[in-house]
Amino acid sequence: MSKYNLPKKFDYKNVNILKQFITETGKIIPARVTGVSASNQRKITRYIKIARFLALIPYTDMHN
Amino acid sequence: MKKYEAVIILNPNLSSKVDTFTKDFEKLLSSNSFNVVKYEDVGRRQLAYSINNHNKGHYLLFNIEGEPEKLIEIENNIKYNESIIRHLFISVKEHLGEDSQLLVDSKNRKTEAEEIESKKVEKEPEVIKPTNKVETEEVNSQEEAEEQEQEKEQEKSEEVKPEEDKDE
Repeated sequence: MSKYNLPKKFDYKNVNILKQFITETGKIIPARVTGVSASNQRKITRYIKIARFLALIPYTDMHN
Repeated sequence: MKKYEAVIILNPNLSSKVDTFTKDFEKLLSSNSFNVVKYEDVGRRQLAYSINNHNKGHYLLFNIEGEPEKLIEIENNIKYNESIIRHLFISVKEHLGEDSQLLVDSKNRKTEAEEIESKKVEKEPEVIKPTNKVETEEVNSQEEAEEQEQEKEQEKSEEVKPEEDKDE
């Protein structure tokens, strides 16, 4: 069983799923740590970056 | 025809004017021969970081389809609109008919808030009932509780000190 809650289709609007793949400081967790398949990891990184732009996820914990 | 998703974050101070904005925006879309497949008003939401000194934003989602050349004109039109604090057009293969997770979350939050409020209303009448005797008892119990807390704090401070010594 995967320790992550993976959806059928990734989406930048599904913040709860994307939050599993960022650290407390907001960094994207690398694939060698997550163990997710390469294609899923690419999707995750792409949608995390979109969600960051839309202020759904922080870039860092240093925001004022 | 390409399919797009548009996300628009509006200035939260203009939340009351959302309807007029969406009408204007839909006119702009239709004048550029764009179809609105689905429209979602997510509502005010906490931003993960402040944008132009705004801590909240009013999120609007549009599922639209139209020609790529026209999209540039729409974007040029929106760029200098000061009521929009951020916008994003993103091309998608398919429009999902379901509600987006953002809308579902915001709806859940609203229902939870309503439930909490309704519980508060139910509890309030019960608080008024106690007689004078009960109140005096409560005062005593409060004093006892405070004494106990003080004792606990003293115990804690005693516990902490030896550990510091070990560290040194």
